[in-house]
Amino acid sequence: MTQRIEIRGLRKGYGNTKALVGLDLDLIPGEVLGIAGPNGAGKSTLVRILAGEERHDGGEVRIGGAAFPLAEAARLVAVVHQEPQLFPNLTVAENLLVGREGAHLLRPAPPDGDRALMTALGLGPYVARPLGDCTLAVQQRTEIARALARDARVFLFDEPNSALTDEESDELFQEIRKLADAGNIVILVTHRLGDLVEHTSRVVVMRDGKVAAELQGAALTEEGIAQLLVLAEHRATPDSARGLRDTRAEAALLQVRGWTHRGGLFAGLSFAAARGEILALMGVEGSGARELLRSLGGVEASQGEISVMGESGAGAVRRYTAYVPATRQLSLYSNLSVGNNLLARLGKPDIAGFGYALRPRRMRALAEDAVRRFYVKTRTLGQGIRSLSGGNQQKVAIAQALASRPRLLLLEEPTRGVDIGARREIYRLLSDFAADGNAVVMYCTEVPEMFEAADRVVVVSDGRLSSSLSVAAFPHVEALATEVTRLERHGRQT
Amino acid sequence: MSIPDNAPPTRAARFSAAGRATFDLTLRLGGLAVAIVVVGFVFQVFNDAFLNTDVIISVLRSMSSVAIMGLGLTLVIVIGEIDLSVGAMYGLAANSLAVIWIQGGVPVQLAIPLVLLIAVGVGIFNGVLTTALRIPSFIVTLGSYNLLYGLSLYVTHASTFNPNYPPEGYSVADSQLAFFVNLTKQFGAHQFSVEVFWMLALALVVGFLLHRSLFGFRLVAIGGNPLAAQLARLPVRRYKILAFILSAVIAAIAGILDFSFIQTSQPDLGLSQTFPVFAAVIIGGASLSGGKGTAIGTLGGALLLAELQIGLALLSPGPHAQQIFLGAVTIGAVALDLGLTRLRARRAG
Repeated sequence: MTQRIEIRGLRKGYGNTKALVGLDLDLIPGEVLGIAGPNGAGKSTLVRILAGEERHDGGEVRIGGAAFPLAEAARLVAVVHQEPQLFPNLTVAENLLVGREGAHLLRPAPPDGDRALMTALGLGPYVARPLGDCTLAVQQRTEIARALARDARVFLFDEPNSALTDEESDELFQEIRKLADAGNIVILVTHRLGDLVEHTSRVVVMRDGKVAAELQGAALTEEGIAQLLVLAEHRATPDSARGLRDTRAEAALLQVRGWTHRGGLFAGLSFAAARGEILALMGVEGSGARELLRSLGGVEASQGEISVMGESGAGAVRRYTAYVPATRQLSLYSNLSVGNNLLARLGKPDIAGFGYALRPRRMRALAEDAVRRFYVKTRTLGQGIRSLSGGNQQKVAIAQALASRPRLLLLEEPTRGVDIGARREIYRLLSDFAADGNAVVMYCTEVPEMFEAADRVVVVSDGRLSSSLSVAAFPHVEALATEVTRLERHGRQT
Repeated sequence: MSIPDNAPPTRAARFSAAGRATFDLTLRLGGLAVAIVVVGFVFQVFNDAFLNTDVIISVLRSMSSVAIMGLGLTLVIVIGEIDLSVGAMYGLAANSLAVIWIQGGVPVQLAIPLVLLIAVGVGIFNGVLTTALRIPSFIVTLGSYNLLYGLSLYVTHASTFNPNYPPEGYSVADSQLAFFVNLTKQFGAHQFSVEVFWMLALALVVGFLLHRSLFGFRLVAIGGNPLAAQLARLPVRRYKILAFILSAVIAAIAGILDFSFIQTSQPDLGLSQTFPVFAAVIIGGASLSGGKGTAIGTLGGALLLAELQIGLALLSPGPHAQQIFLGAVTIGAVALDLGLTRLRARRAG
């Protein structure tokens, strides 16, 4: 029987960002604990620390009153990822064996226990098949089997079913239940509120690196969690100037008809965005919302009619749109300075002249101008991009896209991992950009972001669009959250 | 450890932030310069004839072919790819020039542009296979290395050529021979070769491309983060193909110049230069993961290698010494660079 794990005052920072600030949490054997929270709340950091992948900076983790042997965490704690981190070139049985081969000279043979374990998890038919040829569900069960084979006691499931079919995820939750019933500690980290309510006995909502609230028993409902997620997030009053802009009278800047994803995530979508408008696409992972945004920038293969600024086709997309990816690993160049990052999308004649020679004085002026207009907090233009805080890096990423003078800005999670102050500034930049007769379409996962930054919200679920919500019609963020949650659920059920 | 956004920067902070990239470069090039000087003095201690004009001039001449090929290779490495075929291209250039000119009777002034066109074709071959078919450039150019060597053997029928002594039945006009030899003419009391000027001129061209042109700006960006460059709609494919073309053409120029200097072509010419060229580029501070590299660094790397080569040849400890030093210096330079980078990163926190 596993003993209770007590986490007290856990702290962890990465450079200027603080991922965990004094987290207190009890992990009780025999229960499935759910963890919810917006991106950047510190969920992944907590998972990594428990799994022994990272050291914490302060606070303590105790098991049964004694210090938790973090050195042994690799054996005791199993993390089942959304994308299993195994060996695709080995068979299922061989995957179970890796790390437990012992010191024999001969090629190790699987111990007798392994076969029983695999049969119990329904892996029997796949034992001799290379893991890379198995479905995601089988790969996840292999990961569970691997953990059981090495006597793991703590199981962390990190968004485990986001890519599974309904049937597969039901089977997965049965296994999760069994693990808890056997007296293990089981944690489920997910954005799916329905799963939390259905499959866990207790849910903690994390926010800004600590536990913001805890729900169990009758209080554990989807609405309850949704409200908490929103309330924990929403602190400052929204920008009041935004709601005053009337956009309906304006001409459409972006028009999409019969828009169909090559990968089948959505089909036959039609919508438009007006000049001066900021449109938010909202949807959970796998709903198609993220891919829809990316497809508008030509990054995700799609077909259908698209027109921007009255011109249609890929040429118009290329000429008038700029896309900013969700992670800064995909938008910034770590080997370039802050100044050069700001100019990376420019060409002739902006930064180069005759004979493609660079124009250093003009480059300097452009970069200085961008730093000023986008409130980038940097000491010099020449310093490395990684010396900036996350929020300022994100401002550079957006400024870099805007430098190419697009008319339609496409943002994927524009403020992921960005602190509240920088968020404010980013929203103001977007608002200024839109006010100049341009348009912004962004993919967001958090309601407060839509409430503060967007004029209109469209919820995507199962590749279908909801009717659009005018943000100005909602008096407070809770009202918008309730409606968005309702539309999201409604879309999935129909 | 958060720094308040509007706190006035301290003097030290301002220095380290402002000059970080420049500082990196200075450190690397400064280290290289120190190494070149120190190695020179060490050789002088062992052999007091080392530091004289003749030796220095022969070091400069003998570095030039590795340096020129290295300049082209630097472009490919900065964009994050690899070109293993530069040495074989160098050989094919010399051999195909010999065949087209001496056997084919095409005037040398026309044969040289034809050879450069062949190099453009090789560059397109490498670049298109790498970008369109997404075959790793290591594989593509490993293949083209052998293909080009095979071509050299095929077109020459595995024989050597010397324009001074054309094969029986063929002749070379004196004026053409003079033109060709004068490409790397030696002059003055110390037999200074024009090839050194070619090297410097190409270094200026590549230096301009890499550090002063839009091409280089994007080359560095693409090499630093190819995915971001693609998402930002930079012309990633076109630039990669261009880098491979430039690399092949510059290697062909090196092959033609060396053929002019040595005046003998043989099918396996240049193959043994492949790894010294890589060593020169790496010692010069380029990173195999892309996004980093300079023309002046590559010149420095080639200079250090040539200095070691000639210095060791004069001391004549045997052929093993050159190889051992080549290996040690390559690993040592990169190890030192990584060590210093980590040390500084830790200090900067």
